[in-house]
Amino acid sequence: MSAQPIQPEPADRPAILPMDAPAPAPKPVVPIVAPIGEVVLQVTDLAVRFPSDEGPVNAVQDLSYEARLGRTLAIVGESGSGKSVSSMAVLGLHNAKRSTITGSILLDGHEIVGAEESLLRKLRSNTAAMIFQDPLSALHPFYKVGSQIAEAYLAHNSVSKQVARKRAVEMLDLVGIPTPERRARQFPHEFSGGMRQRAMIALGLVNNPKLLIADEPTTALDVTVQAQILDLVKNLQQEFGSAVILITHDLGVVAEVADDILVMYAGRAVEKGLAKDVLARPQHPYTYALLQSLPSASEDSDRLLTIKGSPPSLVNLPSGCSFHPRCAVRDRVPGDACARTLPELRTSAPGRQIRCHLANPEQVLTEEHFA
Amino acid sequence: MTTSPSATQPGAGARAGEPLIEIEHLVKYFAVREVQGLTMVRNTVKAVDDITFSIADGETLGLVGESGCGKSTVSRCITRLETPTSGAIRYRGRDIANLPEKQLRPLRREIQMIFQDPYSSLNPRQTVGAILSTPLRVHGLAKGKEKARAQELLELVGLNPEHINRYPSEFSGGQRQRIGIARALAVEPKVIIADEPVSALDVSVQAQVMNLLSGLRAELGLSFIFIAHDLGVIRHFCDRVAVMYLGKIVEIGDKPHIYGAPQHPYTQALLSAAPDINVVRGAPPKERIRLVGDPPSPIDPPSGCRFRTRCWKAQDICASQEPPLEDKPGGGDDHRIACHFPEIKSTLVAAVPG
Repeated sequence: MSAQPIQPEPADRPAILPMDAPAPAPKPVVPIVAPIGEVVLQVTDLAVRFPSDEGPVNAVQDLSYEARLGRTLAIVGESGSGKSVSSMAVLGLHNAKRSTITGSILLDGHEIVGAEESLLRKLRSNTAAMIFQDPLSALHPFYKVGSQIAEAYLAHNSVSKQVARKRAVEMLDLVGIPTPERRARQFPHEFSGGMRQRAMIALGLVNNPKLLIADEPTTALDVTVQAQILDLVKNLQQEFGSAVILITHDLGVVAEVADDILVMYAGRAVEKGLAKDVLARPQHPYTYALLQSLPSASEDSDRLLTIKGSPPSLVNLPSGCSFHPRCAVRDRVPGDACARTLPELRTSAPGRQIRCHLANPEQVLTEEHFA
Repeated sequence: MTTSPSATQPGAGARAGEPLIEIEHLVKYFAVREVQGLTMVRNTVKAVDDITFSIADGETLGLVGESGCGKSTVSRCITRLETPTSGAIRYRGRDIANLPEKQLRPLRREIQMIFQDPYSSLNPRQTVGAILSTPLRVHGLAKGKEKARAQELLELVGLNPEHINRYPSEFSGGQRQRIGIARALAVEPKVIIADEPVSALDVSVQAQVMNLLSGLRAELGLSFIFIAHDLGVIRHFCDRVAVMYLGKIVEIGDKPHIYGAPQHPYTQALLSAAPDINVVRGAPPKERIRLVGDPPSPIDPPSGCRFRTRCWKAQDICASQEPPLEDKPGGGDDHRIACHFPEIKSTLVAAVPG
């Protein structure tokens, strides 16, 4: 898919400034000089398996995607779809003794699958960083917020502690924390939920990584705070020009921030493409049903379309297409192909890929909708 | 459902439109002790601070607000899982705010609750049959026929009645939530208080449970108090909506007014902040209002209007005088707003293309 320019922000943003906390103007911090659109992360045929008492858990299977500088890729799926497992593999966070990882993960030219711990240490935080869903358990409760950020900076830069500490304060300022000097000397429990997530983002960006993986960064937050954090991630991305992978189950969030989207179901990619195309005209029956089952805040709805059943067990996946037992349009595929053969991820339109046997998915889904 | 509940027909005998539950000046404070330095300080969390609203028979009221705004405390007061600090809770005209437990028992049959987390709200060591027949036994219903009734309930919520001897761990999250719903329905309540009933569920399962609740509401004529933080879910399910902020109702009204012509700045900010899928379907971008900071602590709420510290319209009067919840010009029927500077905004949800 070709690199698209980043969506401009709507211009008519009302200036809303609080009395006690003026939003600080972000300071430029050495931008990355690589051109926008360069591939930072190339995942090819990734598979992650874990042993379990009932047999191997196929958490991720033949997954391929790429992340480009300056773009946000949203990986969407329900719990157990493999979205978090696949991104943890990108940072080499799976225990090699308790997981089997095959395929290739090229992060900024380095192969991650089977890499030495020393290389992973060098790449983590410096080339790729991750922010987690629950900032309270991701930040260390015994260390001051400022020292945690400074420590991450010291690990990759030979500078004095003073410089690192200054850098930490700068980062807190950048993510919009008022009185950063004072806040740097506080502990995580003294921060509110939204502030902790800001501190996590500061920690993630302190080494100016080319790739930022955000795993459900706003799920634990309230709506108004979620909007602030999403704006912050968007603005910082434009400034730093880094690639962002946003892992979420919330399609509304995807609609607001993502450029590209990858929809996962039961460990496999089922649909890939530009976010605005996929959300406006989904082609995979699963994506379509997910979108239809969402109640919207902007229109009244009578009855929600549902997907029958629940997501399958990853220990024994259904034969053929993993989604076929829940698919509403499987009888539109001739024969019993859906139950027998696993569809390949194929290009269905320019820049769009789906894993489905339907030859003309959009038409079938529209007919089904009005039936 | 083909077999209707035996004892009383829910909803029967009540006149439509008459208030079923009236909440007047409800207050709930919690005493907390906090460590400050080397000393212990006693504080009061003003979780719910003087709220008044009512629910008509057969009506569904949505309570929406951010965490800590007191929406769950309100629901726990109505079910009398908490005893209010002051104020009245009238159920069919009778004040239940301070009833002793013994007199409360028969009323518990009429007001039931569905909880958020289907994993912690079911006893893992009881079979589904035991979970569903306990309320029947407590209230002396379906004597001798508990098992048949439990199976009937499972069928009602779309589960296989043969699974009556299974344990909660053998069910998925969505199925467990159905068991929680069946347990609430076991005693044929008139009102169901649902505290975030779908927020712990996966998206594809969430719609199933929402449809189940809609179906049951129509079939059994239930009234609902529906608590959620998802504005889409509230819009789908509720007739009226009350928006809460820091222990107060800031705006209450019929769904079309709250979503179409909200007047309180906080309601507007909430609507504007909710991510909306319709923006990619060609709807024009909605007006962006971004609040700064987090909600203040309910231990020491701001003077006057509690929203003033995050409000872009705040002036001196907002700090000195608390705005009453009242009708405002341009508002709909029964649409009340607590704000000194109300103003209709109708551009906060994406317009849906035809």
